[in-house]
Amino acid sequence: MWWSNLFKDMSPASFFNFSFLPKYGQLFVQGVEYTLLLAVVSVALAVIPALVLALMRLSKNKFIKGIAGAYIAVFRSTPLLVQLSIIYFGLFGVIQIPRITILGFVDLSRFIPGVVALALNSSAYVAEIFRGGILAVDIGQTEAARSLGLNKFACMRFVVLPQAIKNVLPAIANEIITMVKESSICSMLGMAELMFGAKAAASATYITLAPYTLAALIYFCINYPASKGIEAIERRMRRGDKN
Amino acid sequence: METRTEPIISVRNLVKTYNNGEIHALDDCSIDIAKGEVVAIIGPSGSGKSTMLRSLNLLEEPTSGSIFFNGVNLSDKSVDINLHRQKMGMVFQHFNLFPHMTVKKNITLAPVHLKLKTQAEADAMAEKLLKRIGLPDKADEYPAMLSGGQKQRIAIIRALAMEPDVMLFDEPTSALDPEMVGEVLDVMKELAHEGMTMVVVTHEMGFAREVGDRVVFMDSGKIVEQGTPSEIFDNPQNPRLKDFLAKVL
Repeated sequence: MWWSNLFKDMSPASFFNFSFLPKYGQLFVQGVEYTLLLAVVSVALAVIPALVLALMRLSKNKFIKGIAGAYIAVFRSTPLLVQLSIIYFGLFGVIQIPRITILGFVDLSRFIPGVVALALNSSAYVAEIFRGGILAVDIGQTEAARSLGLNKFACMRFVVLPQAIKNVLPAIANEIITMVKESSICSMLGMAELMFGAKAAASATYITLAPYTLAALIYFCINYPASKGIEAIERRMRRGDKN
Repeated sequence: METRTEPIISVRNLVKTYNNGEIHALDDCSIDIAKGEVVAIIGPSGSGKSTMLRSLNLLEEPTSGSIFFNGVNLSDKSVDINLHRQKMGMVFQHFNLFPHMTVKKNITLAPVHLKLKTQAEADAMAEKLLKRIGLPDKADEYPAMLSGGQKQRIAIIRALAMEPDVMLFDEPTSALDPEMVGEVLDVMKELAHEGMTMVVVTHEMGFAREVGDRVVFMDSGKIVEQGTPSEIFDNPQNPRLKDFLAKVL
């Protein structure tokens, strides 16, 4: 390409030696897709278990509350890489997933363990988001619903949760952003996401730095506008909130 | 009130303590409320009057004592409280309308979900009730669009939509701007004249005197004195009641 000459005199350790692009650019394109897929699917899968965990933590039953508390404590107090390794080699050492490739580059035998690990991890954090959101709904709402004769479940479903979920949507969107970043750790187990693409390009071309510069740029260009967008939505929601 | 019928609510030796018995919110309270009676509960803040009212439908769980409603002991753990709450309407100081639902949905949610009415029947009833309080055009608005007085009137008809046997009011005008107090009290007066059994915790002495069949004065978690409005307001006996009235009248 016309711009290939730009990089002719750059050292392999230069920040901006993007000469690997013509040959390895495709790795980055697929890497971005893989990363977004990991982040969105794992947070989406985390939502329901997180809601269950949050309700368990709010239960009056000490046993139920304890189980949820222990789950959340374990997943929040150990590194994601450790969780990922244990789930990959432990759980999915037992459950064998066939090597099926979807979308041309997503190998399910690696993707599924990755998504499961990220979702289990994320559900601990999203559970705390939900719990906060539920507790933030005025107790008067519960009292009004219960005084009309609605049972606990109906009160939660019709009155408290709709208000709580609206309040936590920005925080859940932020969790997806966190996952876009955190999922880079999946490269350690050979999942072909963005960081994996960068490493592959670096080792194939001996250009040590620029592939990571590019990865950083891409992560930034996804996450920064996304977080700004969420902030704007949050501001607008607050304005419409005065009841 | 001398024509004693079977009381609709009967409270016996009700005690409510907080912090393992350190704070006595209610201290051995007993009271009967007859069908069709309007009882106003007055007293200084912290006297336990709201706790008493909220105990009647078990929003506050009593530490000991019993509450009979239509002859059923509500404090018995085997009683399905949800069933009895349907017949005890409650109106709160801060309205507690559901902000994510339209006015109509606020009114129809419980009757429809509890299968007391179809959506169409409940909608028709909501419209009738809204017309009655002069807000027929607000059915599809959200609570955020309403004034405090409008919200509280809608909260009252939301409770009425359950066709309750008794209505409990917890300081229904305390959070309102002064110019909106009248419109809410008017709805309550109308309700009283129609023969609704009402228990009203209030700071509106004028309302207690005019509408109440009986006025109950509470202080430090105890029912200190009770009687007709003229007995309480014109001829108070207990020094604490005299002192309270001197401050508020």
